[in-house]
Amino acid sequence: MVASRYTVEEQRQAIWVYLEQTSGELERISLELLSKGRQLADRAGWPLAGLICGHQVRPLAQQALAHGADEVWLADHLLLADFAVETFAQATFAALMQGRPSVFLVGGTPNGRDLAGRLAVRLRTGLNADCTNLRLDPRTGILTSEITGFGGGVLALLEMPNHRPQMATVRPGVFAPADADPGRTGRVIELPLDLSPEILRTGRVKRVVGRGVDLTQASVLVCGGRGVAGDFDMLERLARLLGGEVGATRPPADEGHVERERQVGQTGVVCRPKLAFACGISGASHFVVGIQEADTVVAINTDPEAPIFEFSDYCIVGDASRVVPALVRALQERRGTTHD
Amino acid sequence: MTDLHIVVCMKVVPKTEEVRVNPETRRLIRAGARSEINPPDMNALEMALGLKDRHGGRVSILSMGPPTFEPYLRVGLAMGADHVYLLSDPQFGGADTLATTYTLARGIQRMDGADLILCGEESSDGATGQVPPGLAEWLDLPQLTLVTDVTIDAVARRVCGRREIRGGYELLAAPMPAVVSARTACNEPRFMDYRIKRRAFEEGQVTVWRAEDLAADETMIGARGSPTIVSGLDEARVRERRREFLRGTPEEIAQDLLARLGLLD
Amino acid sequence: METAEPRTLDDGLWDRLSELTEGAADLCYQCGVCTAICPWGLVREEPLPVRTLVRHAQLGLSDAQDALWLCTACAQCEVTCPRQVPVVTVIRALRQLRWERRQTLKGLPSVLWSLYWNNNPWSQPPSRRGNWAQGLELPTYDAEKHEVLLYVGCTCSYDRRAQSIAGALVKVLRAADVRFGVLGEGEPCCGEPALSLGHLPYFEEIAQKTAEVFRERGVRRLVAISPHAFDVFQNHYPALDEGFRPSHYVQYLADLVRTGRLGFDRSLDLALCCGGGGGRAWIETPAGERFSDLRIREAAATGASVIATACPLCVACLEDSLRAQPLAGMQVLDVAEIAARALGETA
Repeated sequence: MVASRYTVEEQRQAIWVYLEQTSGELERISLELLSKGRQLADRAGWPLAGLICGHQVRPLAQQALAHGADEVWLADHLLLADFAVETFAQATFAALMQGRPSVFLVGGTPNGRDLAGRLAVRLRTGLNADCTNLRLDPRTGILTSEITGFGGGVLALLEMPNHRPQMATVRPGVFAPADADPGRTGRVIELPLDLSPEILRTGRVKRVVGRGVDLTQASVLVCGGRGVAGDFDMLERLARLLGGEVGATRPPADEGHVERERQVGQTGVVCRPKLAFACGISGASHFVVGIQEADTVVAINTDPEAPIFEFSDYCIVGDASRVVPALVRALQERRGTTHD
Repeated sequence: MTDLHIVVCMKVVPKTEEVRVNPETRRLIRAGARSEINPPDMNALEMALGLKDRHGGRVSILSMGPPTFEPYLRVGLAMGADHVYLLSDPQFGGADTLATTYTLARGIQRMDGADLILCGEESSDGATGQVPPGLAEWLDLPQLTLVTDVTIDAVARRVCGRREIRGGYELLAAPMPAVVSARTACNEPRFMDYRIKRRAFEEGQVTVWRAEDLAADETMIGARGSPTIVSGLDEARVRERRREFLRGTPEEIAQDLLARLGLLD
Repeated sequence: METAEPRTLDDGLWDRLSELTEGAADLCYQCGVCTAICPWGLVREEPLPVRTLVRHAQLGLSDAQDALWLCTACAQCEVTCPRQVPVVTVIRALRQLRWERRQTLKGLPSVLWSLYWNNNPWSQPPSRRGNWAQGLELPTYDAEKHEVLLYVGCTCSYDRRAQSIAGALVKVLRAADVRFGVLGEGEPCCGEPALSLGHLPYFEEIAQKTAEVFRERGVRRLVAISPHAFDVFQNHYPALDEGFRPSHYVQYLADLVRTGRLGFDRSLDLALCCGGGGGRAWIETPAGERFSDLRIREAAATGASVIATACPLCVACLEDSLRAQPLAGMQVLDVAEIAARALGETA
């Protein structure tokens, strides 16, 4: 069997988490990893380190310490100002070879997956992808990762006993971020880096923010049917609070309450959001096709016998015009008390 | 550039809702389950065929798996791909991402490389999504992942991919050859062309390569080359919806629902 | 004055279209009745240009216009065509050309892929095709034991609303003691979506396979719930075995009524008189000897709630009997009264 770049004997008993940041802000996933990492580290009695790659990111070190890291490794370089897998993989690889942690966790974001996939091969180690839970055996130091396959139907536990680091990408949103403790302190280690622009092959040609709707990419979808009687403003409010998009069955699109590109289903768009709301929708097959890949479906309908409930995780028998505004109010109240 | 060569990595997977776990042996029961081409790989193939429509050249399908994959991969030939390469050897069995990407990379090297290697975003059975970057690393190629659309500049030999990002999109470019992964559902795969279907199924070009054909390092393939072991397996709730009815006033329901969805954290 | 773009006729395309339509368009003399009758004219400024489409088929022109996909195959144009042009066939052929050129509408390839991977056009798991019948304990069709194969079809198998149609029909067939079976998860799709969307070669492939399933199972009498399935079995499938007879369920129920298996035990030629014929309306019949007493009990045994008749003497006799022995919810109505009710009874 092929040996990893550093072995079990050469490892250090430490948990490292990769702290993704954008424009000088730690991503939410980074706080989630720190929170779970802290929990694992405490049980094992190991230190928790955060690895930050970027340019002029030193101010983030304190935030990482406050959120649970014992030490922070900084890869600070002009060439790391924007994410590019070539430079980030090189910097991260150098850091790992120096720190040799037993466990290395990365967020399962698009950039995190790009990075982790390359790194695992470069380190000749395994990679447990998109994990939904993690356990660390304090005695053996073995990390067990829980993943789901087959559309969530099968749950597998994975381990890599003989390779290091034990790498995993973690599904965003699974672990709750812990509150910051501004009093926490720790070591900040600056990593000497030797990066040259020649290794960069991929480049960004253009970046556009703001565009037409593309429901296939929406992570939250708030759909309305005949039963919302054309009141798509309330659905829009809910969608906006959840960072999602509004979708519709055919009748509201026919009646011009929403743009045609928001029609979901067999004759519209087939979506795969994390969360889908079906408001005032009976649940005919041609609509259900459009949301059946959703991780979670919530249905609101006045008819307790409506077929949509068969395809839903949470079923609410009631009038969408009363339930949706209640959801909006609850979310607004929540927003009022947090910075989120 | 009529010599454009695109390789599409494809996999055959059991239909997700038909896979069960044997409660005693804790192993997957795949027997009897219907299979299909991993749906995201169909998007990758469509992307490749679209490039072939515009630029000419040829499209090869590359897959690793048992001989039973063959009839499924011929569907790709009936859609317009030119050749199927199936890496099939009992020694390849039990491969995790590291061994899989190594084996696929050997396959691409065996066919003297490609200008573009397209993959689906992830597979529905393992859903690791780590094959495209892993393959790019083995082949030392640039990678454009999760793209929804791809264009190539045949003269400059550059590939440009559109990638959706929060609130917008970005265009990324890289020199060819490169590895590109297609975002799931980014296009609608064309249906089979029935004027060529019979030929694709009866005479279509399928090459099967075994481990020795790839000159693969035996310690790097299959279960032997895989750092990861499965220590447990269980049936998560079958893909049935929960169908939990929430009751109360709209306000109570709202609180209850948001708590269950984890939106009150 | 507007000048039209010059157009080039493509001989190859002309041949291909002629072959696909089997010359069906040649009969047309371009009178335009088809475009005028087409119901799209009721809802659109611009009607479906049926005449132009047929003209294109005659000339070997193919424009990638979406109008081709409007046709619902209602066939009003065929009925009114003075030249008996099989317009629906022509339109299907034009659609097939679109498939070959990959100029279909978005979403249509996915319908065919669903037929291919899922054996239904609704993107539903094939393993759940039989789930609608859970608890009904329907036997799998066995040619030795069953007189009829109930062909449920994709929509009645998966769509919640349509499932209740299948459930209702099961109840009716059981009431008539029909020995029937189903194919459950093994029921093949009839392929109608492929045909009507114009993918003829794929439809033919499905038809071959499905016909083979029926042949292997020894199916003779098949009862389809959907008229679309019935249509393809009856009119578009390759010749099945001698004796294979598809019916739509309405036809089959009519047969059951005609043969006395559904409805009154005594019916048609042997139907029981109310007792008021032959001048007996004017002659007293002693209680206990009245046919109408028997007749309302027979009616109740069928589970009916209305006894329909088309004779004032029947109404009088049957209602007399109902008064003497009230049967919960049972009513006697004349056909004229039922028809008026259906119109929304006027005062």
